[in-house]
Amino acid sequence: MASHAGSKPQNVDPAHKAESHGAHHKPAAERPLPEQVMPDLVKTTAAGSKFKVAALVLAGLSVLGVIGVVGRLFGGTGAADQKEWGYVAATLGFMLTVFGGAPMVSVAPSMAKANWIRPVTRISALFSLAGVATALVLLALVVALPPLVTEGARRRSIWFDAPVYSPHFWSIVGLVGLVVTGIGLWYANSLPDFAAMRDHSNGWRQRWGKKLARGFVGTQGQWRSLRLRIGMLGTLYFLVLIFVHFLISTDFAMSMVAGWRDAIFPMYHSLGSLQAGIASTIIAMWAARKWGGLDKYLGHDQFWALGKLLFAFSLLWFYFFISGFIVFWYGRTDSDIMVLDLLIRGPYKYAFAAAFLLCFFLPWWTLIWNRVRASVTGPAVVAAIIIVGHLFDKIRIYGSAWSTDPARIHERFLTVIPQTHYPDVFDIFVIVGAPALGILLMLLASRMVPVVSIWDMKQFLMLSKPVKYMKGHALIVAKPD
Amino acid sequence: MQQRRVIDQVHTNRVLLNGQLATPKWWLPTVTLLGLFVVVGWVLIGFMLNKGLGVTGLNRPVFWGVMIVTFVFWVGISHAGIMISAILRLTQAEWRRPVTRTAELLTVCSLLTALLFPAMQDGRVWRDYWMMPMDWARGVWPNPRSPLIWDPFAIGTYLTGATLFLYVALLPDLGNLRDRTKGVMHVFYSVLALGWRGNPRQWKLQTVGGILLSALMLPIFVSVHSVVSWDFAVTPGVEGWHSTIFAPYFVIGAVHSGVSAVVTVMALMRWLWKWDDFIRPEHFDALARLLIVVATGWLGFTFLELIFAVYSQEGQEVALREMQIFTWPWNAWFIVFLLTGYFIPVGMWLFKSVRNNIALMFWTSILVNVGMWLERYFIVVGGLSRKTPLVNSWATYRPSAYEWAIMAWSFAWVSFLLLLFARFFPLVPLFEQKESQTFSAEIKIGRARVPAVLREQE
Repeated sequence: MASHAGSKPQNVDPAHKAESHGAHHKPAAERPLPEQVMPDLVKTTAAGSKFKVAALVLAGLSVLGVIGVVGRLFGGTGAADQKEWGYVAATLGFMLTVFGGAPMVSVAPSMAKANWIRPVTRISALFSLAGVATALVLLALVVALPPLVTEGARRRSIWFDAPVYSPHFWSIVGLVGLVVTGIGLWYANSLPDFAAMRDHSNGWRQRWGKKLARGFVGTQGQWRSLRLRIGMLGTLYFLVLIFVHFLISTDFAMSMVAGWRDAIFPMYHSLGSLQAGIASTIIAMWAARKWGGLDKYLGHDQFWALGKLLFAFSLLWFYFFISGFIVFWYGRTDSDIMVLDLLIRGPYKYAFAAAFLLCFFLPWWTLIWNRVRASVTGPAVVAAIIIVGHLFDKIRIYGSAWSTDPARIHERFLTVIPQTHYPDVFDIFVIVGAPALGILLMLLASRMVPVVSIWDMKQFLMLSKPVKYMKGHALIVAKPD
Repeated sequence: MQQRRVIDQVHTNRVLLNGQLATPKWWLPTVTLLGLFVVVGWVLIGFMLNKGLGVTGLNRPVFWGVMIVTFVFWVGISHAGIMISAILRLTQAEWRRPVTRTAELLTVCSLLTALLFPAMQDGRVWRDYWMMPMDWARGVWPNPRSPLIWDPFAIGTYLTGATLFLYVALLPDLGNLRDRTKGVMHVFYSVLALGWRGNPRQWKLQTVGGILLSALMLPIFVSVHSVVSWDFAVTPGVEGWHSTIFAPYFVIGAVHSGVSAVVTVMALMRWLWKWDDFIRPEHFDALARLLIVVATGWLGFTFLELIFAVYSQEGQEVALREMQIFTWPWNAWFIVFLLTGYFIPVGMWLFKSVRNNIALMFWTSILVNVGMWLERYFIVVGGLSRKTPLVNSWATYRPSAYEWAIMAWSFAWVSFLLLLFARFFPLVPLFEQKESQTFSAEIKIGRARVPAVLREQE
C-alpha cells in the first residue's frame, strides 16, 4: 500500500518490551511510543521507488481497462449484443463487492467501541476512493442494460410500473451516492490527519493539508462534531451499501433472467461484499506491513480479530447460499430447476465450483485453525483466495444472466439455457484494468495522509495499556462513553 | 452509560442467592396460580389428544393454525440464549454478564414448550416415535428428506446443547450453593456440582468449555430456526411460503423476539428480586441498542420478503399480499404488526431516556413479541387461508377458544418453569459478577479517569 521511503519505525515502548521477556507465553506485541506515532506515520506518505513502480504498473493496467471499456462500447456489436457485456457486469459486481464492503470493516467495530480497530480505520475507509472506478464501470454498463419495456412488453423487475429507464437512473444515483458517502467517511476520518500534515509536513502536502483540514485544531467541540459525523456517515454508508447491492443485484442480474425470483439474492450479494471487504482490508494491511514498514502499527491483534470476522463471514456466505439453494432444490418447480440449471450446474458450473471452493470451503478449513488466524500471513493468503472466489462468483452470476436471450426475457421462466460465453481480450482488459484503477486511486491518496490514522493510533495507545497479568500478558482497554 | 459499582463478594452472594437460601413471599402464591393454569392446560391437551384435533375446530384449508404459530413463536424466543450468551461471550461484551443465565434458561424453557406443539398438532402423539430410526425389525425408516423430520432433530440437538451450555455455566454457582446449604439441599447441590472446588484447573476447563460450547452452539442456533423455516419454504404448493429468504428472515426475527423476551424477563427479575445493583439501566440500554440494529435488519428482510413476493407478478401471490395488506381484518392486523414489531418500540428506543427507563423497556419488549407473534400468524395462516384450485372451502379461519387456551397455557408453562428454576438456582451468575468486578479497571487520561476492562491477550 504505502511504500515506505525511509527505514522501518523502530521505536518501541521499552517498558513493555522489557515485560515481554521471561514470560512463558509468546512475547506481547510491540507497541510504538506515542510520541513517535506522528513522525513515523507522516514519513510513510513520502513516495519511494517502490511506490513509483507500483503506481506506474497500476496506471498501465488502468489504461488497458479504459481500452477494454472503449473496445466494448465501440468495437464489434457495441451495446447491441448484451451477452458481450457479461464480463463487464461481472467486473462491476466484483468491484462493488470488494471495494464497497471494505469501509464497513471499521464502521461496525468502531460503533461497538472496539479499540483494536483503530489502526485499521483509515485503510478500510481508503477503499471508498476505489469506488470511483466502480462508478465509471457502471456508467459504461448502463448503456448496454435493456430498458424495462422491450418489444412492447415489460419485464419483471423491482420497478414494476416505474418509467422504463428507472434501473439505469437509480443505479447510477445509488452508486454515486455510495461513492460520495464513502469519500465523505474517508475525509471525516482523515480530517485531524490533514491538520497533522498541515503542521508537520512541508511542500504540497502541507498546502493541501491546510486546505483540507478546514481549520481543525482539535478543540473539544471539533472532536465531538467529528465523532458524530463519522458515526452518521458510517451508518449512512451501511444503509446505502445495502440499497446499492439490492439495486445492482436485481437490475443487473436477477431481472435479466425470466423466472428468476430469489428474495435472498440481494442479501447474499451484500453479505458477500462484507466478506470481501474484510478480505480486501486484510490484504491492504498485509501490503502496508510488507512495503510500508507498518509492522508495529498493524499488529497481530488486528489480523487475529479480522481473521475471526473473516471466518464468521465465510460461514455466513455458505449459510446465505444454502438458504437459497435448498429452496430451489426442494421446490423443483420449473423455474426452480431453471435457476439451478443456469446458475449452478449449467454453463458456468466450473465458475460456481471455484466460487464455492474459494469463498467458503478453503477459508473454512484454513481459518478454523487458531494458528492460521493468529498469524499475519495466514489471514492474508485466505483473504486473497476469497477475493478470487468472489470474482468467479460474479462471473457465474452476471455471466449467466447476461448470456440469456433477450428475446425470452418476457417468458414465465427461461426455457433455453445459454452456452458458456468466454471472455475476449477486451473483457480481460476490463477485469484487470478497472480494479487496477481503483487501487491506483487508493495508492495516490496514501500520499496525502498516512494509511494508518495518526489520531486513531494515538487514541489506540492512550486507551489501552499493556500489563502483566499473572504469568501472561493482558491489556487494559478503556471504554469511554 | 457505565454505572459501575464496586460490589463485594459477600454482598453478591447474599443478594443473588436470596431466591435459593430463602423463599420470597410472592413466590409460592405465584407458582401455585401458574401451576393451576398449567394443570388446566394439560387437561385440555389430554382431552384434545383423546378426542382428536377436531375439538380445536381446525379444518381445511387451514390445518396449521395457532398451535403451529405458537410453536414457531417459542422456537423464536429460544434464540435469545445463544444470541446473548454465545455471541456476546465470544465478542467479550462486558454488559452480557447479568443477562446470560436468564437468556440460556429462556432458551431451554421455550424449547421444551415449543417441542410439544408439533407433537400435539400431529394428533396421534403416541406414534411420534416413528420419527426416530428405531423400527429395526419392520424396516420402517423416517424419510430424512422430509423437513418435518428435520425439526425434531434440529430442536433436539439445540435443546441438548442449550441445556449443556446452561449447566456448564451453572457449575461454579452450584458449588457455591452446596457450601451454603444443609441436609437434602446440600446433597442435591453436591450431586449437581460434580465436585466443583474452584481450583485453577476446574476454572480453566469451565472457561474453555464455555468458549467451545459457544462456538459449537452458533451453527446449531442458526440451523434450528432455518430448519423450521424450511418446513414452509420448501413447500411450493402454499402461496407465500416458497421463498428463499425464509431461513435468515426467521432467524433474525427470532433474535429480535428472543432478545426482547430477555428484556421482559430481566425487568421482572429486577422488580421481583430487587436486584437493582446487578441489573442496571445500562444493561437495558445496551440491549436496546442491540435491538435497534437487529430490528432494523429484520425490517429490511420483511421488506425484501414482501417485494419479492409481488416481484413475480403472478396472480395468486399478488392476491395473497393484497389480502394481507388491504383486506379487512388482515389489514388492521398488518398495521398492528408493523407498529408493534418495529415502529413503536424502535422509535422509542432511539431515545436514551427510554432505553434507561426499565418500565418503558418492559412494555416495549412485550409489544415486540405481540408483533412477532402476529408475523408468524401472517406467514403460517395467511398462505393457507387463500383459496387454491384444490380447496373447496371458502370459510375464513378464526382461532377457536380451545386454541387460544392452549396458547395461553404455553405462557403459563414457561413462566412456571422459570420460577421453578429460580427457586433452586440463581438467575444471575454469581461468578460472572465477581469476574466482572475483577476485570474492571480504570485508565487515567489527563485528569479524567476512564472506565476500562482487563483483557487477557491471546
